[in-house]
Formats: sequence, structure tokens, C-alpha cells
Amino acid sequence: MILIIHVTNMVRIIARLDVKPPYVVKPIQFEGLRKIGDPKELSQKYYNQGADEILYIDIVSSLYQREILYSNIFDASQDIFVPYAAGGGVRTVNDFVEMLHHGVDKVVINTNAILNPNVIKEAVEICGSQAVVVHIEAKKWDDHWECYTDCGRIPTSVDVFEWAKAVEMLGAGEIIVSSVDNDGTKKGFDIDLIKKMSKLVNIPLIAASGAGSLEDIKKVIIEGKPDAVAIASLLHYNSYSISEIKNYLSSEGIEVML
Amino acid sequence: MRNKVGILVVGRAGNLTNIERALVEAGAEYIYIKDIEDFEKINKILIPGVGSYKDAMNSIKDRIEIIRENIKKKPTLGICLGMQILGQIGFENGESKGIGVIEGEVRKMEVKAKTPHIGWNKLTNRKESPLFKDIPEDAAFYFMHSFELNNYIDFISLTDYENHKFVSSIQRGNIFGVQFHPEKSREYGIQLLRNFLEM
Repeated sequence: MILIIHVTNMVRIIARLDVKPPYVVKPIQFEGLRKIGDPKELSQKYYNQGADEILYIDIVSSLYQREILYSNIFDASQDIFVPYAAGGGVRTVNDFVEMLHHGVDKVVINTNAILNPNVIKEAVEICGSQAVVVHIEAKKWDDHWECYTDCGRIPTSVDVFEWAKAVEMLGAGEIIVSSVDNDGTKKGFDIDLIKKMSKLVNIPLIAASGAGSLEDIKKVIIEGKPDAVAIASLLHYNSYSISEIKNYLSSEGIEVML
Repeated sequence: MRNKVGILVVGRAGNLTNIERALVEAGAEYIYIKDIEDFEKINKILIPGVGSYKDAMNSIKDRIEIIRENIKKKPTLGICLGMQILGQIGFENGESKGIGVIEGEVRKMEVKAKTPHIGWNKLTNRKESPLFKDIPEDAAFYFMHSFELNNYIDFISLTDYENHKFVSSIQRGNIFGVQFHPEKSREYGIQLLRNFLEM
């Protein structure tokens, strides 16, 4: 008997590229960042494998406080006929518009949204809410989760759920939640975090960080009920292809775009 | 004859590269409609749309008559906001008049599910239309919107989002509109564009 798990839509499986231009990278414990490959080749590869969306995050943009490298972002958007989300160092409404002019459908903002929440509202007015995605990095403490910025480096003392509610009120279209503790570790998602977030906000939720196995992905979908799951390490190390992940989820009763 | 599509840009911000690539993939050439003379160079009109209704209509308010005339003469496809502004009126950020070549008002979707409606969804209640040639009944398309057009006279498909059925595509003569994004819907999206190009 297959139990059909009811979710709002087909759950989207998103391929996530963390980029230290010009390479896609992934952190390895005790080693730092490992080079995985070329963003354009990888986005094409994952698109061909059946990715529902591609997510490109420049992980050093904020840290280096430099200009956004639009041509790199544009290059990785070529020939993929699914939505393309990109972020890293986004600060102003002009950045949002520039992104949209460089092949990006959805612009992801993290650090600068917390510093200047009004930019969310302004960006929504010009670009529409569906183009504005806020990335929340959460670090778990005993009884709460704290927002971190700059790719999980800098604490803010801001409570993750209070911030999420504010983000929703400001009109953002989607939230990506990643776990500072689990990212890159392949030890699974922070299910409690996703579960609470999914109940709290009424805008689509993307769960990122931590997938180490097919079961991890199934578990976060069933228990956390996000609208989408972003996968990085599992894909980059060729553990599974997107079609293998989707076939597995489908066989477990979860509706995905096959 | 090779299709030359005129892209009519509305509003200030939107990703047009996918539209360009999708049109090329589907076998068309394109230009951007900037001056009135550009309408003479094209045989089809495509209206993409990201942004708000008000912003979109503001950006074309000086050219509405010309646009209306040409939509009536050449096959036209409106995508997402591009479909919504073909109607009579929109209620996003206040009230704005639309292009008015079809009936219908655009309002925020009232649904118990998360908004915006983002992701893959299917078409139901599909009517016979050349727009759907070679596209299977259970094909899914990518949606990214919070508003809907309530024209139930010209619809050629509906879509179900958490028990709320809304109009996902329309056809009135040679005027077509899709709420979803064919340029972001893989091969069936490209096929839909090919079908439009064959009109």
C-alpha cells in the first residue's frame, strides 16, 4: 500500500550551487572549501538530471564586500528552462533589478535584508513578491534559533521565527531556511526548525542544508512539510542524481515532477 | 515564413533572457517593440510579465491604443502578468485599468494555501485549442503568481491549487494568455511556444 502524502504542490527539488567564483565549492570538514566544478556545467548537468530549479549562491560576495559578479551568474543561467534563483551580496533594489536583467528569476537576499529590512518591501514593489526570496541561516541554541549572516559566520541576536514573520509581512515571496549546524555535514536536516517554520509562515518554504541520504530528504518532506528542498553535497559528490532522488521520493508516495 | 515575434516589455523589472532563449529554441526570431514602426516588422506579439499590474500598465499608458489595435491584428500571447493586463481591470496596489481586449478582473487569489503560488502544477478542464497540440493532459507547468484573472468565458484551462480552481490559460480568437511560464516549464513549455508560433 502506498500512502499518498498530501503536500500543497509537487515538492520541488532544487539543485544548489555554492559558488566562490569561478568555482562551485563545498566545505569539507578540516579542509576548508573543495572545488567541485564549473557553475555553468553543473547547472546544465543538474537541469538535465531533472532539477526543478537551480539556486546559485555566491558565498563570498558579502564577506569580501565586493560588487556582485553578474556575468558569472548570467553564464550559469544559460539553456536551463526552469527557474533560476541567485544571491550573494545583494543589498539594494538596484541589485535586484540587475539580477533580473542577468537571467535570474528569483533574487535571494540574506545579510543585507536583516541590516535593512525595508529593501524587501521596496524590491517587492518593483519586482513582485515572487522574485524576492529571503535566505535565513539558523543556528540552534537550547531553546531557540538565532539568525546568522555572511554564510553562517556572524551572529545577529535576531530570533529566526520573529525575523521570518517580519519577512512575510514585508511581502517576500519565499523563504529559504538553512541550518548553520547541519550545512555541508550530510547528517540530515534540522527537522524541528523546518517543521516550526512551515507552520508559522504562509509563504513557500525551501529547506536547505544537511541532506546526507535519500531518507533524510523523505523525512524532512514528510515531517517538516517544506514546499521545496535544496540539495548540494549529495549531488556534488555524485551520491545520487536528481532523477534517482525523485524516483525514490515518488516510490515513497511523495508527489514530485517526474 | 519564419516567425518574427515582437516582445512587448511591460514594467521595469523582469528576466527576459529565458523568453529570448525559449523563442529561439522554439524556432522564432524576435525583436523588442520600442517604436510604433516595430509593429510592422513582426507577425506575432508576446507580452511577458513580471512585476505589478499598476507598474506594467503605467509603462505602456502612452501606447495603449496602438497596442490594442495590433493585438487585434496579430496573434498575441500574454504570459503571467502579460496575460493579466489583457483584461479590463486589476486590483494590485490600487486599481488600474488594463488593456481591455478581453474581459476579466485581476485580484489576489483567495486560497487557504501559501501565496504566492510557486511551483509546478497541472492543467484541468482543458478545452480543445491549438495551443495544446502535442501536450499531454497531465503535463505540468511552472507558476509564480499571487493574482488571478477571473475570465471564465474565454478560459481554455483551469488549475487546481488547494481546492481553489483558477483560470490558467485563455484564448479569444487569436489572443492567448497563460498564467504559467512556458519559458520556465521545460519541454512542454517550449512545445506550447511552438504551437503559438504556428498560428
